[in-house]
Amino acid sequence: MRGMRLLAATALAGLVAFSAAAEAKETLRLMTVFDAPTVQLWEPVLAAYNEANPDYEVKMETVAGSGAAVYPDVLRTAMASGDPPDVFFMWGGEIAGPFIRAGQVAVLDSYYDKYGWDKVVAPWTIERITRDGHKYGVPFHARGMGLWYRVDLFEKYGLSEPKTYDELAKVCSTFKENGIYCASFGGKFGWQTMRLLDYFIETTCGPEEHDKLNALQSSWNQPCVVAAYDRMAQWVKDGWLVPDFLNVAPNDARMAVYSGDAAMVFEGGWFEGVLKSDEQPMENFKFFLPPTDHTPVRYSAFPEQWMIPEASKHKDAAAALINWLTIADTQKKFPEAFTASATIGVESDCSVAPRDCEWKKILTSDSQTYPPTDQAFTKELIDGFFEVQDGVVAGKITPTDAAAQMQAKAEAWKAKQKS
Amino acid sequence: MTVTSLAEGRPAFARARRRRRVPTAWIPYLFLAPALIWYAAFLVYPMLQSLYISFFDWDGLSPTMTFVGLKNYIDIFMSDEVARLALWNNILWTLGALVLPTAIGLMLALALNRRVPGSTLFRTIFYSPAVLPLVAVGLIWAWVYNPNFGVVNTTLKAVGLRTWAAGWLSSYELALPATFVTFVWSHVGFPMIFYLAGLQAISKEYYEAATIDGANAFQRFRHVTLPGLTETHVIVLSLAVINGFKVFDLVYTMTYGGPGRSTQVLGTWMYFQTFQYYHAGYGSALAWVIAAIVLVIAIPYIRRMSR
Amino acid sequence: MFADVRNQRRLEQTLLFISLLVLSLIWLTPFATVVMSAIRSQGDLLSRGVFSWPKAIAWKNFSEAWHTGDFSIYFRNSLFLIFIKVPLGIFIAALAAYPLAKMRFRFSGAIFIFFLAGLAVPVQVTLQPLLVMMKQLGIANSIFALIPPYVAFGLPFQIFVLRGFFRLIPSELLEAARLDGASEWTAFLRVMLPLSVPALATLCIIDVLNTWNEFLIALVLISAKESRTVPVGLLQFQGEYSSQYTLLMAGILISIIPVIVIFIFLQRYFVAGLTSGAVKG
Repeated sequence: MRGMRLLAATALAGLVAFSAAAEAKETLRLMTVFDAPTVQLWEPVLAAYNEANPDYEVKMETVAGSGAAVYPDVLRTAMASGDPPDVFFMWGGEIAGPFIRAGQVAVLDSYYDKYGWDKVVAPWTIERITRDGHKYGVPFHARGMGLWYRVDLFEKYGLSEPKTYDELAKVCSTFKENGIYCASFGGKFGWQTMRLLDYFIETTCGPEEHDKLNALQSSWNQPCVVAAYDRMAQWVKDGWLVPDFLNVAPNDARMAVYSGDAAMVFEGGWFEGVLKSDEQPMENFKFFLPPTDHTPVRYSAFPEQWMIPEASKHKDAAAALINWLTIADTQKKFPEAFTASATIGVESDCSVAPRDCEWKKILTSDSQTYPPTDQAFTKELIDGFFEVQDGVVAGKITPTDAAAQMQAKAEAWKAKQKS
Repeated sequence: MTVTSLAEGRPAFARARRRRRVPTAWIPYLFLAPALIWYAAFLVYPMLQSLYISFFDWDGLSPTMTFVGLKNYIDIFMSDEVARLALWNNILWTLGALVLPTAIGLMLALALNRRVPGSTLFRTIFYSPAVLPLVAVGLIWAWVYNPNFGVVNTTLKAVGLRTWAAGWLSSYELALPATFVTFVWSHVGFPMIFYLAGLQAISKEYYEAATIDGANAFQRFRHVTLPGLTETHVIVLSLAVINGFKVFDLVYTMTYGGPGRSTQVLGTWMYFQTFQYYHAGYGSALAWVIAAIVLVIAIPYIRRMSR
Repeated sequence: MFADVRNQRRLEQTLLFISLLVLSLIWLTPFATVVMSAIRSQGDLLSRGVFSWPKAIAWKNFSEAWHTGDFSIYFRNSLFLIFIKVPLGIFIAALAAYPLAKMRFRFSGAIFIFFLAGLAVPVQVTLQPLLVMMKQLGIANSIFALIPPYVAFGLPFQIFVLRGFFRLIPSELLEAARLDGASEWTAFLRVMLPLSVPALATLCIIDVLNTWNEFLIALVLISAKESRTVPVGLLQFQGEYSSQYTLLMAGILISIIPVIVIFIFLQRYFVAGLTSGAVKG
């Protein structure tokens, strides 16, 4: 009898606790790199989720700041101090590596089974975020990069989009003869210059060897790598690139193109949005995938993903939120917030964002991509790569030495990992 | 006269003694207590934690850390070439910081301490760069130094010094000096206001006395102003050394340690190691090396000068 | 004879004035760039170059920066910080500097060195322990989380500077106060502090600026938007792939107004020591 009463009391208490929990919404912390305009686009998205969801209130925390410079530092400190968000934004590849190796990121394999995300997002993006057979994130953006050019300048000198490397070289020498720089780069942080070098390596070494180089399975000290560095040195020496760019900020590099001093920039699909916010005439800019002289023509691309911290107390709810953000139904309702989406079947409005629309078609087709090296290497190794690259651009390191030095850095790094 | 003053003095003493309930020996410590407690809790304690971490191999993220003893410190001195370059850059930076902003700041303070028209405005102008947030300083000076549209190169070209135009921040040799120029621009107000405050403390009577003794302007500067500023020199110069070895944000913002590694300083290298390469143990060791260098140089100087 | 001296003085003054003027123009150039960039459109800035004259003045940048940047929140937080942190920190520092400058007691040298050591500490390595501490105190993610580290990191510098300036105050004045029956506390409040106004004003300005512009600690300790400060708020104008330069610059100009007001207000105290006249060596 007493036992029964106790049981009833406990059940009642449990019920009360349960209903109290249902009334007060739990907070789900979503951490992103969004800047002010993006945050504004996302406000209605999150409002819609919060309205439809009785149990959780999503709160977005954002750490903007150009590129991968500020956000990972904040995220790292938050995680190490046991104060992680519930869902966070992350770039693909090795930028996420340290978090995964430290056991701070939840494996999402079971949620993939539950929600069938394999069928929802572009296959290559999933492949790119898979590590050791496990999926730690859900691709959110699919970003591809190419050479964006000034249509008026191409027309003025009777040039067309190059189909081979030699044609590209011809385009550049034509511009040079007419006192225009072929392309503008911002060498600060290293990653923008890297896009050009990555392209050279893809061209001189070919797809298979490029992948092996990125995986450190083949030696960097080989002729095709020397040839790639050689091209870099030649582009600088021949004045095809706006000079003295090693510490120019990547965003500042665009100015030379806007002013007509240079014809091209190596940018991603986001450049259409940049043009809009920089108030440039959009119809004057088009892009092409740089010709690699190999088939298929691979291009540089990377996903951005959502991840869930291992320490999150609301993993199921976090996964549900990610699912809601990923499915085409949601994304179609808020097209402006979901440009460059990795989700299949979400078409951009081609009349509003024609270039994004083009990219979308390329990125969700069965086209092939290679990762930018800064997402293939850890930050420590990629800084070594940037150091060599800067040396070549500045003429301090010969292409032959550069290949040897790069291999030495790769070996030193591998040795350090083993110890 | 004497009697009355004594008579007045005595009750005053007596009153004082009655009021002082706290034992005299405790008084200094009572004054010090709030600062000591606050400082120990929120600066010394976290710093000691970083000392502890510096004996471990730790990525700053994992739940586990591996004890490696002094390995991090040994590596810094034996095998880290970037750290060696960074130390050299710090030494150059510190030497520059001891001379340039300090001398300019002193000259400005001397000039503005006189009755110059608009001295308030000038003071505000020379101090104004310190008002700008770092992001603004970094952005503006990147533009000032931009090889193509930067104001430095366009000015040089306009006045016929085309050959002097350079890549400034993009050059291995010029990047650090160029960053240092920005430092001078942004920090000159700092010694300036210290010297201004220091000059206030020198009694006018000294100058009057010196003038009566027939001292000229230079002699007055040499024998009255400079000695009168000793305490200020100690402050300004030791802070120049300390901040010279700790320099971080300006270099990080303007050059990011590049091109190559040419402008790495110990502060940025520590930040790269800790936050970007995920070597929290090694980064903490670097932090302690910086602290040790600063302490070894600055403290004996401060102690000697302010006895 | 006198006229000669007066003429020479006038010439000196004029030369001094002109050189100060030239130097201050150089000093203002980068500053002018901020202003020029803040009052034009992004397209104008980027296509025609940042050092060109604006085609049209875009005052709307300021209101846009204020709204999209949510400056009302950041301003409130930063101002709150300044009005709490600066007086609190400097008062605690002055308390500590007083015995270090003017009293003889055991360990005084050691305690001074102990404080000085804090100057050598690179703030970056303490971020993680600090965040853990603030969590334990239950104030992580609120504006109060910034007060303990800000005060602590200001102390070594402020104690160092104040001790130096306190030493300049003649001990006779303190002795006189003590003879008049003042307690140490009264001597500190009524003699030491009033005589140190120029130094205190200098420290106030430096501290206001440091607090107002502090970035790293504020960035790491606070992730909630409601508790962010101005420098962290400025980040929002720099996106993953693009920067809104003009709004950023407008935001910066807005953000420095309070500091400049405080600077101009405190300026007159720089010279207060002159008029007080009590300072004798």
